[in-house]
Amino acid sequence: MKINFKTPVVESREQRLGTIISWDGKASDLSKESAYARGSCETTCGEKSRKLCEIEGPFTQGSVCSEQMVECQAGHIRNAVLIQHSPIGCGAGQVIYNSIYRNGLAGRNLPVENQHVICTNLLEEDMVYGGVAKLEQSIRDAWERYHPKAIFIATSCATGIIGDDVDGTASQMETELKIPVIPLHCEGFKSKHWSTGFDATQHGIIRQVVRKNPKKQEDLVNVINLWGSDIFTPMLAELGLRVNYVVDLATVEDLEQLSEAAATVGFCYTLSSYMAAGLEQEFGVPEIKAPQPYGFAGTDAWFRELARVTHREEKAEAYIAKEHARIAPRLTELRTLLKGKKGYVATGSAYAHGLITVLRELGVEVNGSLVFHHDPIYDSQDPRQDSLAHVVDNYGDVSHFTVSNRQQHQFYSLLKRVNPDFILIRHNGLAPLASRMGIPAAPLGDEHHSLGYQGIINLGESILDILAHKKFHQDLASHTKLPYKQWWLDQEDPFILAKEENPLYTEGKKHA
Amino acid sequence: MPDIEETKNTNSIQQIRYVCSIAAMHSASAIPRVIPIVHCGPGCADKQFMNVAFYNGFQGGGYGGGAVVPSTNSRELDVVFGGEGRLRELIKASIKILDTDLFVVLTGCISDLVGDDVGSVVKEFQEQGVPIVYAETGGFKGNNFTGHELVTRAIIDQYVGEYDGPRQQATVNLWSLLPYHNTFWRGDLTEIKRILEGIGLKVNILFGYESKGVSEWKHIPKAQFNLVLSPWLGLQTAEHLESKYEQPYLHVPVIPIGAQETSSFLRKVAAFAGLDHAPVEEFIRQEEETYYHYLESFSDFYAEYWWGLPAKFAVVGDSAYNLALTKFLVNQLGIIPGKQIITENPPEEYRENIREEYRKIAEDVATDVEFEEDSYIIHQKIRQTNFGHKAPIIFGTTWERDLAKELKGAIVEVGFPASYELVLSRSYVGYRGALALLEKIYTTTVSASA
Repeated sequence: MKINFKTPVVESREQRLGTIISWDGKASDLSKESAYARGSCETTCGEKSRKLCEIEGPFTQGSVCSEQMVECQAGHIRNAVLIQHSPIGCGAGQVIYNSIYRNGLAGRNLPVENQHVICTNLLEEDMVYGGVAKLEQSIRDAWERYHPKAIFIATSCATGIIGDDVDGTASQMETELKIPVIPLHCEGFKSKHWSTGFDATQHGIIRQVVRKNPKKQEDLVNVINLWGSDIFTPMLAELGLRVNYVVDLATVEDLEQLSEAAATVGFCYTLSSYMAAGLEQEFGVPEIKAPQPYGFAGTDAWFRELARVTHREEKAEAYIAKEHARIAPRLTELRTLLKGKKGYVATGSAYAHGLITVLRELGVEVNGSLVFHHDPIYDSQDPRQDSLAHVVDNYGDVSHFTVSNRQQHQFYSLLKRVNPDFILIRHNGLAPLASRMGIPAAPLGDEHHSLGYQGIINLGESILDILAHKKFHQDLASHTKLPYKQWWLDQEDPFILAKEENPLYTEGKKHA
Repeated sequence: MPDIEETKNTNSIQQIRYVCSIAAMHSASAIPRVIPIVHCGPGCADKQFMNVAFYNGFQGGGYGGGAVVPSTNSRELDVVFGGEGRLRELIKASIKILDTDLFVVLTGCISDLVGDDVGSVVKEFQEQGVPIVYAETGGFKGNNFTGHELVTRAIIDQYVGEYDGPRQQATVNLWSLLPYHNTFWRGDLTEIKRILEGIGLKVNILFGYESKGVSEWKHIPKAQFNLVLSPWLGLQTAEHLESKYEQPYLHVPVIPIGAQETSSFLRKVAAFAGLDHAPVEEFIRQEEETYYHYLESFSDFYAEYWWGLPAKFAVVGDSAYNLALTKFLVNQLGIIPGKQIITENPPEEYRENIREEYRKIAEDVATDVEFEEDSYIIHQKIRQTNFGHKAPIIFGTTWERDLAKELKGAIVEVGFPASYELVLSRSYVGYRGALALLEKIYTTTVSASA
């Protein structure tokens, strides 16, 4: 299925990929059930093609929206400005994403600065009369203040509902200012999962920023990432390749040359799926279709495929052999030190698949994992990118594999049933609960921490560090009360309320 | 960069200093064992939590805030067909799952735009005796300061209810700092409660760890009076309580920092409450004795430190801390005010009174204050301020970190957002808080010296 770049509005993940946010079972079953999306349903499912079954319950806690993901991508482009066309509440995100931006810049040895994000600050009267005049004013302010190379506009729930013509204003201002002015449609209510926000940003970049008549740079590789430390430069230098990091911390010039690269890679297919497939479709930049670069099997295959696509096969084997040998001694020690430990992964979808493999390389037992959503397939529709099947086929099943979009109330019994020694985590909100249950968490702020060969060692060392924190968390656990009723804490099935005969409704019927 | 003369105020706000009304979910979760329920898009609760309570002193979500908060996470269907059914279902499930004394339902842009009748939905539960209230806090309707008063009023009107019984003399309800938005609110409320109890009052502190939760809120109408300790926040609540319960209020705009201001504040409150003179003076005497012992020790440093201390300051922040700090820095430390900018967009009707406070900041010092919300303009104004021969010390937020470097000055993050401070029980007000503030100011200065 072709990605449609003709319209300014990105198609949501659930429409394109059949994304779900709620599921519970064995990883192998989820992998099998996702097979319909790979077009192999007849052979594996034994039934006609169908969508993944999703369990929706009445109780939900605050999640995350697409606009936040736009902020953490388009808001982190160094010589662009992001305008949040919204009431001031959406502007709250400027605080966290500024802090991440600053620390990300520091981590890459780039000059530290505040991000350039402006909120149009819509008020009640704008809901009645429309907010496009304010949008236009803010675009002018952005221009006068920064003379940016591009201006991005994030829409909001409010502007989506009142129907502001953001595309019209953007197009008019683009003509006037002679820089790309890019509307990113990311209303929170339009998609059930925030990762649609990544796609919205990438959609806008491909449509309006990327150079349309590329001059190929045969040694340039696009790396779609966030703000992680610069581990790709030395790794790709082994093949004589240069790195083009996008979207976060990139310049508009970096984005323009996306179409000129020899290949596109990422650290996580959840993030890179849309842009990588789009660049291949529109500009013939090949996306590396391989397992993600985690653990030996994944990294070997990924590196070989990158070498093959960029015609540097002969250099790959030497690097692979060298790295295997280099990390072997410490890996042996780490496996001894981590023997018998149980880990739990609770991160974004494809990233979790990567982390599970690293944990298993370290000899850590993984019986449970939580992903915030599940894409049955990525935009390439290529089975070589089936990151969940890669885990199951190479490292075995995960018996308690759960899809839950950051629902803390479910996390309690998810942890109870596997009782891990530690958790790996990225998004906020779950680790505090684990902490109150006595379980330490390793928050992986640097998304590259566990990637590649060195990543196996890095993660092992970090786990040793956080296991020591156990003293803190266990002390806390014995002095804390959770905000959930005992009835709920006693439930073994975290999805009980989503089941047909759930106690909420049956009791309701009794009373009625 | 254009001159400030060319930079006019527009609707644009970059580097925000307040958020929207639904962030008043923090005013609910700041009451022990109270949990907010938000009826809004999927990102609203997380946005408010991560920015107001996390990357602002890393305060944490507490019992019922953060990722605990139930949210309808409205979808397109709820926009098209309305979200009342979804809210009803969520409340029902929340009652089953969460262990709380009171739910506070807050609405977001979506619900307020599509016109959900949230009041009717909540009323169904109230009629069944469920402790639950609601406030309409759509993001376009106001900021988290006005949202705070909406939530406060919702709890008073829909939960505390009518009262015409006797009053308890020497009991006070305190309305002061905005919970969570003010990075130091927990420690500050603790200190304010401590000193008010010190002079013999019983204090309904209402928010924070020292509050007894909803039982304390139930006692609001029994108090002798309300004390509004802030330039304007809480005045609406106090006026409402005055008309609802005929309960008088005392308004003290300056939150006291340091012995001078704190003692004078306590005397003012004591006079209003009609407290016995002697025990009040005895408490003040003891507190001042301790305070000035420490100040004597501090004077060795303040008088003798070789390598220079800042002589002028700027404050950028909401009016409560802005005014409190300016008073303290001018009157007790003798630092010269350079630029004061108030950033929370106080309602127009309160602004003249606030300006007047700055005009009489000391007997011999008058200063001016400006109201700005857009950090771009705020920073321009500070750049164009003449701080004299020495770099200033800026009392501001994370947004001023780079500006302070640019001016070769020092930065003390005292308000939202304070993303490079960890704040637990630290307080900057009263007798004890003033000492912590001195430590912070001059540790910052000394630490940067070599």
